[in-house]
Formats: sequence, structure tokens, C-alpha cells
Amino acid sequence: MTHANALFDTIVIGAGYNGLVAAAYLARQGKRVCIVERSQSPGGMAQTRTLANGSEMPRIAHLASALHPKVLKELRLLGDIVLKDVPTTVLSPDGNHLVLSAEGAQYADGRPHADSDAYMKLRKRIVRFASALNPLTLRPPPDLTSMSNLDDIAALAKAGLGLRFMGKTEAREFLRVVLSNAADLILDEMPDGPLAGGLAADAIWGAWAGPRSPGTVFSLMYRYGVSASAMVPVGGMGEITHSLVSYLRGFGTEIRTGTEVAKVLSRDDSVQGVVLDTGETLEANAVLSSLGPMASMKMAGVEHFDTEAVRRVRNVRSKGMTAKLNLLLKARPDFAGLDLQYLRGRLLVAPSVQGIEAAFNAAKYGDLPKEPVLEIVLPGLMNAGTNEADGAQTMSIVAQYIPYKLTAGWDDAAREELTATVLTMLENYAPGISDLVETTESLSPMDIERETGAAGGHWHHCELSTDQLLNVRPVNGMSQYAFGLKGYYLCGASTHPGGNVSGVPGRNAALQLIKDGVLR
Amino acid sequence: MTSTTVKPESIEFGLLPTPFFPRLNALMRLHSWEDWGGFLSPLIIKCVEREYFAIRNAATVFDLSPMCKYRISGPDAERVLNRLVTRNVSKLKPGRVGYALWCDEEGMVIADGTIFRLSKTEFMLLSQERNYSWLHDTAWGFDVEITDETEAVCGVALQGPTSFSVLESAGLGSVADMKPFDIRFPEEGLMISRTGFTGDLGYELFVKPEAALALWDRLFEAGRHWGLTAIGAEALYLARLEAGFILPEQDFQSVHVVERLHRGRTPFELGYGNLVHFSKGHFNGRRALLKHKQAGPRVCLVRLDIEGKDAAEESFVYVGRETKVGHITSAAWSPTLKRNIALAELDAKYADPDFDGLWVEIDVEKEGRWVRREMRAKVIEEPFLKNPRGRATPPGAY
Repeated sequence: MTHANALFDTIVIGAGYNGLVAAAYLARQGKRVCIVERSQSPGGMAQTRTLANGSEMPRIAHLASALHPKVLKELRLLGDIVLKDVPTTVLSPDGNHLVLSAEGAQYADGRPHADSDAYMKLRKRIVRFASALNPLTLRPPPDLTSMSNLDDIAALAKAGLGLRFMGKTEAREFLRVVLSNAADLILDEMPDGPLAGGLAADAIWGAWAGPRSPGTVFSLMYRYGVSASAMVPVGGMGEITHSLVSYLRGFGTEIRTGTEVAKVLSRDDSVQGVVLDTGETLEANAVLSSLGPMASMKMAGVEHFDTEAVRRVRNVRSKGMTAKLNLLLKARPDFAGLDLQYLRGRLLVAPSVQGIEAAFNAAKYGDLPKEPVLEIVLPGLMNAGTNEADGAQTMSIVAQYIPYKLTAGWDDAAREELTATVLTMLENYAPGISDLVETTESLSPMDIERETGAAGGHWHHCELSTDQLLNVRPVNGMSQYAFGLKGYYLCGASTHPGGNVSGVPGRNAALQLIKDGVLR
Repeated sequence: MTSTTVKPESIEFGLLPTPFFPRLNALMRLHSWEDWGGFLSPLIIKCVEREYFAIRNAATVFDLSPMCKYRISGPDAERVLNRLVTRNVSKLKPGRVGYALWCDEEGMVIADGTIFRLSKTEFMLLSQERNYSWLHDTAWGFDVEITDETEAVCGVALQGPTSFSVLESAGLGSVADMKPFDIRFPEEGLMISRTGFTGDLGYELFVKPEAALALWDRLFEAGRHWGLTAIGAEALYLARLEAGFILPEQDFQSVHVVERLHRGRTPFELGYGNLVHFSKGHFNGRRALLKHKQAGPRVCLVRLDIEGKDAAEESFVYVGRETKVGHITSAAWSPTLKRNIALAELDAKYADPDFDGLWVEIDVEKEGRWVRREMRAKVIEEPFLKNPRGRATPPGAY
């Protein structure tokens, strides 16, 4: 059987958010793009799923705080993807829930919090520090080995100037804290408790790190660099994917779901296209992979990569620490003392810095912590537009410090134990919640890896730590998106600047591909 | 969890004897040993001049046992070696030996060595320094087994014009038709290759350690009438310089050893551009080497013919009186050629046989007084020593 091979300028492997964004940047330049997605639907971690009773809820990611406005602006999607900010409430078993917002910290019943000023001062400082790093975000990391590229020098100079403009004291403070740990930074300003815990939680989402681990201040800056407030897309997480997919369809981009890339083809050190698991060959001058470096390397064949590169890729740390629980409740749970306006926002269970660290301690030795850190949203309340069957209530929970490599291994019993642990915790805040549970679904990091292809089920695909940042992300010598073979690029969260549904890695990779002149 | 107590083996402090040590030690008059990869290796046994002239005029035995020996076998063995070294291993036929260099990702030479192709899927790699972990890193993801046989196999280099005669007298005349770089197994447990480090007729013989002393005795019994002499490394270094072979850590620095930037050297810079085979597909450092090839070498390791007879060891090379353009890496008065020879690393633009203005500044100590000599030097392209008898098959009976 012979048939002409399909011809494209670029194949994008994986229709996750970054894959879609990368494809969009190429499509709008008139490139013929084909996206190949293993699962049945595009979106990766940013998807809305319909439950058995017809209710809709986010499958994995449930907030879009990091969605980069520049990406939306450049793709002219600002009208299609509308973000609104929602308050964050740190739950307290005694009912003294604490609300954090850009105005400060106060109790849910309106009483002011004694450390509100300290909180605001610190929050603003982190946002200001993060903005100094912004010149390095929307571009490939500077190549420090040659320093012959004027753009690299300009970007570093800009970041340097950003620091200078803060003034000497602030710049010195930036350098003092940038590589240090969030616990010290926070507890220098306020006593331990829900306020400190709420702030510390934002330093560790997705990370194989506790608030006392070095590098967590950077991770907090990374998160607050786009928005220190929780943001949610109007219409739900699936809206992001829907908008991008219809944008791409407008340019005639093909999205092939339910099919997997078996091999990336190459000849004379250049990629030639891909072979699908169906045996079909798609020819292209460039291939962008939104998978992590190890999976991408294996698809092209290890023999095309230098020994040092293989060694570095083998040593990339990507052990997922985050699980997802999707609950369907018979009715709205009663969080004592919490108004509807706060239930429409983000709820955190992060009682103290110490408590968060204790949860990490269990997880780093492969155990389930007794009290993981939780981020809860009620999608039905948050998004008036989301379908929700009568009376029923969906609850989307991100549980942090659930180890990828559970010592006991991941099976149904372990998943049930995780659900039970979380429900037991929630009983402290919403008594009777367990009786409301209709269905539960718990996705361990291993399940997330299986479902999305993200190595280790990791939030950032590749741990966002100081040894895997900027020009050493994902590995030294491969930080500028080009990946060994001519025309082969990484475009996923494992590349600079990292994960969080920002779209920036996909954007930067596509722009780098265009700049490198691989596509004629 | 069960805990196991590992009792550390007691290891004697100092250098290890090779399987040939009892015989070497019995001959050793100068107690002149050096450390080669943790083993005792002789520098000079009785007299360096005698040992050198035995290489050129008779036959010599040098203990090769400390040489690192790696067995690489399996369906992907050829692919792994092609990935490791710059030359095309696919063109090396079973039963043949090839000299090769291997580079890091920046195209800088890590080490050199000889590849023995034993069959389609089995190779031995011999190198002066350890490369075990590098081999394993290179082989990651391939179906291949790599074992370190440095201590499981020992060997001697039998070199010199009468070396074939020694073998013949020892009952190994069947190797007569071996061409240079051939491998043969004339007897159970004995591997012979027609290879060497002297630029002359010579063989290398490998056996298991338990057969070492018997091999030694057999060779020396047969070699009695052929002037067979045990030698140390010093005589061999002189012979190899005449033959134009380079030594790691002397004529170039392994990029895995240096810590300073830009001290690594490409195969082009060492004069081995002909062993970089770009057309064979990807190998380590290929992308970087393509760029280096285009940019041209920064420096060149060249052969120098120098005026006078004082060895130019550790000297600078000048153009005119002022401009340093390189330095000598190895130098000696060659007793066979009656020439003052050296290897030198020069700025690439002066590595030209047609260039006339090179000077070497040689400081010589004359009975308590230092004398500075400025000598003309000339780059030469051909090897210093070209010895047709070294390549003749069958070898002559000298």
C-alpha cells in the first residue's frame, strides 16, 4: 500500500496548553501545522470534563493564575479568554477563616488581621522582585557560555537595571533572598499560622520542596510574577482550550487526537517528520515536542544526542508531588462561617508553615502525609456558566505532597486512602461533608503522568528548582528550545520558564524556531 | 528492611604488581618504577640506552598489563563504539585493530586508544587511562554489555626487528602472514595483534593472568638468540616519539582532566582530522566538530626538526626573538635518525612546513652553568621514522 505522506511545516507533539500555544504562534505566521495528541481530547492538564450526572468540572488544573497576558494579547485572544480574580481563603478549624487579597489579610467575618500590613508589604515586595525577572521570562534564557548574542546581553542588562531601579537596599534584599527558602522569608515578617501558611503554600505548589527548601522564594516569585491573586477563566478551564482550538481551526491547523507519535524521523542530523502509531508518516521540517526531555529524546532515538546531554537528561528531577481529587457532592457543603462570595474563590488548607513542612517530610520518604496541603475550588459556584446538575456540587481539590513514588505503590487502595485522608481533613472545616459525597475520583501523580505524559506527573514536567532554571532548564546546553537534531524543539513546561498553564514555553519555543530559520 | 553489614576488604597501601611483576622485578636493577593506573610499571630496568637500542636493533618486551581493557559486546556494540569514537567503526572488519580518538560534546579529545574488533558484535577497547564510566554513559539506552577486563587480561608488547623471529622460535610462526593491525588467536587463551607503539615491526600478546609467567618464560627462552630485552617506559617513549605517536597528558591534555577553559584539543588540532568521519551519522561531539572544522584549528600539534643536538624539552617556540607561538610537548635527540626531533603545539598559522621563521629557545645545563641556545626549527609533515620493515608481510627474519 502506498500513499503520499502528509506534508507539514511543523508537527507539534501533544495538544496540551503549551503545544496549542506553540502551534498558534506558528499557524498565525502561515505555517502548516499538525498537532498529534495521544488522548482523545486536546487540552492536556487544562480541560473540563463532564461527569456522569452531567456536571462539568476541571479535570486537572483548576486555576489559570499564570496564564500570561502577553500570550493572550499576541494571539488576540483577550476577548475570548477572560480571566477574573477570585479571593483566597485560608481555612481554619476554629472558624477564623482568613481572606487574602490584593487589599490585605482579614478574617472572613470582616475583622482585620494583626499582620495584614506585614503581609501586604511582603506580597508587594515579592511582586516587585518578580517583575525584575520579567525581562528574562518572555525569551529564551541567555546563553551564558558565549555571551556573544546582543539580545542575551540586553535581556540580562534589563533585568540588572530592573534591580538597580529598586534602589540599593531593595536590590540587596533581592539578592539576599532570591535563592533562599520561603519559610525564613515569611517568618521574618509574621508569626506562624494560617496567614504565613497561606503565603508559604504559594511557594510550594507542584514542587518536591517544603517551605524550608532553598529555592522556594524563587518559586513564589515565579508564581506571583504573573498574578499574586488567584485567577479563573470565565466559563471554566476548558474555555482556554476551546478558544485555542477554534483559533487554530481558523488557520486550518490539523489536530489529530487519539493517535500517538511512535518515532521522530531524522536524516543527516535534521528531523524529517514523525511516524504515528498507525504507521502513517507525517513529513515536516520541524517537530516541536511538548513532552519532557527524556520522552522527547527517546522518540528521536538516544543515538542522536551527545553522551553528556543524555546523562543530564537522565538526571532531570521530575518526581510529581501533586494529586487531584474530583468530588461530586449531593449538595453544597457547609463551611461554617464562610460566605458564598468566598466559596466562589479559592480555599486553602495550609494551617502553618510548620504544618506544610511536616506534610513534605512524610512525602519525601514516600509516605502519604496525614494532612496534605489542599487547594479547593467549587467550579459550579465559581463559574456561573458551568453546567451543574440540580442541587449537586462539584469540588475540585489539588492535594500537595502526594508522592509519585509512594512506598506502598499506587493502587485503588492507595487512591481510596488518599480520598479518605482528604475527607477526614475537610470534616474539620465542613462537618458532614463525607455524607454528601456522591462520587470521587482521585488522580495520583502516576495517574496524571499516564493521562498527560508529563514526566513523574509533575506540575512543571521538570522540577522548578534553582538547578533546573533559566539556562539550565531542562538541562545545561539545551535551554534554548532547540533539542539536538536540527529542527527538533522542546516546547513544554519542562523548558524555560516552566509550568503553571502560562503558555510562555510554547510561545518562546515557536518564536525561537521561527528565528532559527529552520522553516523555509 | 534488612540491613547488611559490609565488611570492607583490606587493601594494601601502594601500587599493585602486575602478573609479570616477579619476572620484571628479578631483572630490575634501577628500582625505577612508575605509577601507571595504580600498577607498578618499569621506567628503566637496567640502562635506557640499551633498552632503546634493543627496540631498534633486536626485540623487546614491555609489560602492557596496566593498559585499561574494556570488552564491549552485544547487538549494539558497533553502534555504541561508533557513538563513542570519531572514526567509522563499521569499516573495521572482524580480526582487525583500529586507532581511534573520542571526544566530549564540545569536540575536545577525551582520550585515544585502540579498538580490537573480535567479531561482528564483540570488541575490546584499550586505552591508557580509565574510561569505564564514560563508556557506560555512552552506552546508556543501548543493548550492550561493557566489562572492565583490565585485571582479567594481561599482556606484553613484543617490539623490534627480531620480534617475529622470537615468535617463530617460540613456536608461533603461524603469525607470519599477519598484516599490520591483524588479530589472531594462534592458541587457546592467547591473543596476538600486530600492533605497537614503536613504528617498527611488533606484536602485542594478551593472556589471562595465570598464563602470564609461562608466556614470559616462553618468550625469553625463545628470544635468547634474538637479543630479547625487557624494557621500561623511557626507552619506549623515545621510540614512540620517533614514530610520531602522541601521548595523552604529555602531548595533549584530556578534556576530562583539565579544569581551565580552552585547554581541550580537537582531533584536527592533534593532527588526526583524517580519523573524524562525519558521514557515519551522529557521534559524540559531531555537531561541535563540524563547527571546529569550519572555523579551523586554533593550534596544531606538529613534528619539528630542530638544529643542534640538545633536546628541546619544555621549551618555547618563537617567531623572531619576541613572539611566542607555541611550546614543545615532547623532545629528544633521536639516536637512530641522528636528528633533534620534537612534537610541539603551535599557533595554527605557523604550523606550516613552508614557514621558515621558527626558533626554539633551549636552555642547557653545561656542568653547572646554564647556556641559552636559539635554534632554528622546521615543521615536517612526514613521520620522523618510516620503516618499511615494520609493515612488511611476511616479516623479515633479522
